[in-house]
Order: sequence, then structure tokens, then C-alpha cells
Amino acid sequence: MFRPAVCIVLFLLFSAIHVSAQSETPIISGGIQYASTTAGGATVFQPIISPVVVVPIGQRFLIESRATFDEFISRENGSSGPYHAKTFSSVDYLQLDYVVNSHLTIVAGQFLTPFNIYNERIAPVWIHNLADSPLIAGIGTRTSGSSDGGMVRGVAVAHKNWQLDYVAYFSALVNASQFGAGRTAGGRVSVFVPDRRLEVGMSYQRFLQHEHLNSWGSYVVWQPNSVPLDLRAEYAHTTGGQGYWIEGAYRFSRFRGSDSWLGRLQAIGRVQQFYRGTPAPDDALPGADTQKVDFGLNYYLPHNLRLNASYGRQFSSLGNVNIWNLQITYRFLFPLLPGGSK
Amino acid sequence: MKMPVLYRILLIVLLLISVGVAAQNSTSQPQASTPAPPAAKSPATESEQGEKRFQSQCGRCHTLPEDLSPREAKAVVRQMRVRANLTAEDERLILKYLAP
Repeated sequence: MFRPAVCIVLFLLFSAIHVSAQSETPIISGGIQYASTTAGGATVFQPIISPVVVVPIGQRFLIESRATFDEFISRENGSSGPYHAKTFSSVDYLQLDYVVNSHLTIVAGQFLTPFNIYNERIAPVWIHNLADSPLIAGIGTRTSGSSDGGMVRGVAVAHKNWQLDYVAYFSALVNASQFGAGRTAGGRVSVFVPDRRLEVGMSYQRFLQHEHLNSWGSYVVWQPNSVPLDLRAEYAHTTGGQGYWIEGAYRFSRFRGSDSWLGRLQAIGRVQQFYRGTPAPDDALPGADTQKVDFGLNYYLPHNLRLNASYGRQFSSLGNVNIWNLQITYRFLFPLLPGGSK
Repeated sequence: MKMPVLYRILLIVLLLISVGVAAQNSTSQPQASTPAPPAAKSPATESEQGEKRFQSQCGRCHTLPEDLSPREAKAVVRQMRVRANLTAEDERLILKYLAP
């Protein structure tokens, strides 16, 4: 199952861990999830392990990597026939970070494509509120969702009441099985207002292989100070189509605190629309105009466990479908070396 | 048929264990993961400033992991400095909160 590239990655990681052992504690974190999805009567069971290895080297360098190992267990004919299992593994990112100062961090290697926020910040299994990715998740992240090359990022301007952040990157075309990426260039700028807990940003990407395509998007993240509510929204546009999603998550922490039985509960709602443009090969977008609404409940258990149940209804000219999801997720974090937690 | 039945049973067992753990924890340690409130009103300490920055910067995407040791926190915050575009001051204050 382990290909040579993965073996090399593991060797380099363990070498770096050994080197960094004298400075700071390398850690392994991530999530383990068991998910059950029923869409249009067909049920898929999906165990997932997604470990993240973080190895600080000195005060300025950091190696970080995330891999995903998952299995799809489904019936041969959708809703009938014997069950079959398919196993997948992928390296989501493997990057070397050099923190120059607050204004500049240089990243080299394979990194998550920083288009809008879902792919880079919300997609991990221990973070996302709803199991299904947004309809527009393929815009700006096509091919693998990862980029191979270089990236610079940081805080361009840090004011007392706001800060301006930026990301710029270039990715080469790589066809290696575990490190696949498209030839792209792009960037993102955002303004964050800490006191208002409001972030607004814009992304742009130029796809530079085969057809040259432009993708651009914008997003908003807002957590009102007076209400335990998370609001997130994204809009994205490319030749293949355009769309948006808006998600709200309300945690009942006002009722006897966030650790009470009711305060651990979070209600989620999401609406999204996608309008098909000119189809492009492998653009990972819905085949027709699609609308979707999702409702979900999160229950945050002690010891970093979370239960999630959600229902979604998708409307499309290709067929309407009900989608039910049930997930249990364990978020783990351990030192990689003995005694590292002291 | 055997494998899906096993997975269904495994899922039900995990759910029951999780609910049991939650019930036990909510009765014995109702405020286990909530940081202690400040003793008196005073100018915000660095730890309090760090908590505020954690809520505004890190809370945009995720909650605070439980049982985070000081040394683990250093690696986590270093990673988040890159991922969330934290400034050096953000990193210092959040570490004051997570690893006092």
C-alpha cells in the first residue's frame, strides 16, 4: 500500500523529528472519523484517519504534513448487491515553513491551495460542521486541492483595530500519484477586524495548464460578540460555473455554559446555489444548476469527541436527492516523542 | 453482508460509549474545560489578552482542544501562526494563555 514516495516522506519526517527533538516537541494531531452517508437510498460507510505531523525546528522553521487514509464501503449496485470496500490514501500537504517575521512566511513544498477558506481552513474532518463539501469546493482547488511549489504569506499591515493579510503562490504541474497538482498561480487578500471578529477576503487564481482559466472568489467570516453564532459564506466564480454557500452555526452555550449538556449542542444550517457555466474536463463541479439546503446538529462530547448528524436536500435537473449523514469524530493530539507533553 | 453489519454495530457501540462518557463527565466535572475567571477586575493580563486573541483568531475555525500541554501548545501555535497569519505578538500572547 505504501508507495516509495510515501516511504521517502516518512523517512524525511522522522529524520526531522530526530533533529528537532532537542528544541521543541514535535506533535501528531488530527482526526479519526467514522461516517455514514445515505444519498438517494445508497449508503456509504467511510472510516477516515487524517493525521497531522508538526515538527518545529529552531525558532523559525517548521515542517508540517497531513495525510488522509480512508475507506469507502458501499453496495455494488448502489442500494443493492454485496458490499465492497475501496481504500484510499493521500498526502494532503507536506511543507517547509520559514517564518521570517510577522509580515513574511515562506512556504515550500506541497501545500493546500489557499483559494477562499474552505479548502485550507474548514475542510479537516475535526473542523467542518457539515459532512458534505460545498458545491463550489472544486472552484480554485481543482485537480487535487493541493499545490506544489512556493508560497509567501503574512500580515501586510497590522493596525490596532484591523489587519491586512495576504497569500501569494505558484504551483507547478506534478503528476506523481501522492503529490499531484496543477500548474497555477494565485493569491488571496483579507481584512480581519479582531474586535468585531469579522474577516472579509478575496481570492484569485489563474489555471495555467491546458486551457488558461481564471477563478476568483470572496468570503466572509463573522462571529458576533453578543451571540454564540458562527457565520461563514463563500462565493466563487470560474468558467465552469459560479455559486455561493452561507452557513450559520449556533451553539446553545448561553444555557448553563458551554460544558452543560445543552451547551454542548450546536445547530447548523447551510444554503447554497450553483449555476453551471461552460463545462471543463475534470472540473469537479455539479453537472447542472444545483440548489441545496442542509440542517445539522453537532454535539461536542468531552475528550475531544464530536457527534454530528445532518440532513440535506439537493435540487437539480439531474434529479432531486435526500442526503443523510451521521458522523463520530475524535480529535487527537499527542507528542511524537516520549516525555514530550511535560 | 458481514462487514456492514459489523460497522453498524461498531457505530452504535461508539455512540453509546460517547453518550455515557458525556453523561459521566457532565455530572462529575461540569466546568472541567472552562478556564478559571479572573479574581478581580483589573487591566487585562497577558493571559487574558491571549484568551481574547485565541477567541478572535483561532475561534474563527475551531474550538480549543482539551488537555493541551504547554510544550504541545508551542508546536500548535507555531503551526497556526503560518496557517492563520498570526503576528509574533499574537503568538506570544496566545502562548501566555495556552501555556502560562
